[in-house]
Amino acid sequence: MAQAPVITDPYTDAAERLKTLNKVMTTKAAIAQTPKELVWTLNKAKLYRYTPVLPKEKRHPVPLVLVFALMNRPYILDLRPGHSFVEYMVNKGYDLYLLDWGAPGPEDKNLKFDDYTLDYMPRAIRKLKATFGVEQFSLLGWCIGAILTTIYSALRGDQDGLRNLILLTAPLDFSNKHGLTFARWTDERYFDIDKVLAAFGNMPGEMIDYGAKALKPVENYVGNYMKLWDNIDDPRVVESWHAMNTWVTDNVPLAGGAFRQLIVDLYRKDKLMRGELVIRGERVDLSHIHANLLTVIAEDDHITPSCQSEPIMSKVSSADKELFRVRGGHIGIMAGSGASKFTWPHIDGWLAPRSK
Amino acid sequence: MAEDPTQDGKRVDPLDAWRGVRDIYMDAWSKNMVEMVNTEAYAQATGAMLDTYLTASTPFREALEKAMVKTLEQLAMPTRADVVSIAERMTNIEMRLDDLDAKLDSIHRLITQAVAGPPQPRKAQQPAKQQPAKKAVTAKKAKRGKK
Repeated sequence: MAQAPVITDPYTDAAERLKTLNKVMTTKAAIAQTPKELVWTLNKAKLYRYTPVLPKEKRHPVPLVLVFALMNRPYILDLRPGHSFVEYMVNKGYDLYLLDWGAPGPEDKNLKFDDYTLDYMPRAIRKLKATFGVEQFSLLGWCIGAILTTIYSALRGDQDGLRNLILLTAPLDFSNKHGLTFARWTDERYFDIDKVLAAFGNMPGEMIDYGAKALKPVENYVGNYMKLWDNIDDPRVVESWHAMNTWVTDNVPLAGGAFRQLIVDLYRKDKLMRGELVIRGERVDLSHIHANLLTVIAEDDHITPSCQSEPIMSKVSSADKELFRVRGGHIGIMAGSGASKFTWPHIDGWLAPRSK
Repeated sequence: MAEDPTQDGKRVDPLDAWRGVRDIYMDAWSKNMVEMVNTEAYAQATGAMLDTYLTASTPFREALEKAMVKTLEQLAMPTRADVVSIAERMTNIEMRLDDLDAKLDSIHRLITQAVAGPPQPRKAQQPAKQQPAKKAVTAKKAKRGKK
């Protein structure tokens, strides 16, 4: 039997679509809903512990600490129920912690990698170990968070009991200047970092956001909204877009001192990979990393190309190390539709036997 | 008679063909733009624009800051520099508190270990625990005796 024609009123349709568009463009989605408790705080930084859902005997004894980038909110790791890496790992039995750097104020303009890696991280880890009675832990660093975890691992990893290190889309090698658009934009001939920091103190979140979006201007400024309009009748796509847009538009400034190190010491001089980076008088020697290492590379990453993440594999002293490539972009590999099928299960599969 | 607007129950969208053309155009535009932002000329142009903006705005910003400081001083209110200074001192105090917390945790761990005793048979530990208490009682009695 033939189906009855679908009768639609184009004006009602258009009104509904505009209503949905207005909602997603002007409101914030409900994000970061996995229950958590505050364990430690210092200045703007906070260490959260996600409430376990499994009894202690079924959980992995080695906790996992998540460290995200300095200039974005970390709730991309816990975007929305059913699409959350945090929720996934808690359900898999990990004792999960999140180090949230917060938003630096004018008083934090001198904060450097030195402070984050030798003050904040060791103190947070100490509190975690003292409060929950553990001696070893795992670290997962993403983007700039991976730079911080790498520096920390080289300087304090063995001493503090770091057992497993996971680096996601880690920008560590800056030697390939032709392959790095950011390196070209921040070249000392065109970008006067002293003038920028003298004017703003911290690097404004809006400028960082512009830089990230300008790498693919058509996709980010036009295609993104067209994708929404094309799928505006599909509630699943709209919900996903709304949550991602909430995160993308919630920018955080980057502390001036850390931004200067990122541009001058890393993008311009590639000091970390050359073994010349000095943090509070200590040279960062990557061969001092002995923890088990998993490096995850996004094959379509336009922010951190694979050439930035691969070389660390030959620099560390870890006996147990793996390089994992996954299809997707810088954020998509952890927050995209394929994350729960590829990236998350691989991280769990690698980490679970090493967390016993 | 009007044409059936559906195919297999799905609404026919007359704009589908237009979308196809649009997507092809967008792909080409996107590739061109990615190539463009990767050039030295683009880096130079954006750098020059930023530099011009900062050079032009700095005198106004500095003048505004000076005026604001004067105004706040006249009103006997704290300036931005005062608030920043207090915030920095607060962070230092937080660090000292965190140091104390670390020491307390360490003391707590030592006490817990002492109460639990070394990993030896319990019978051997009990006399050692009671001895200081006995001595204390003895000392008090001795003092009373002297009085």
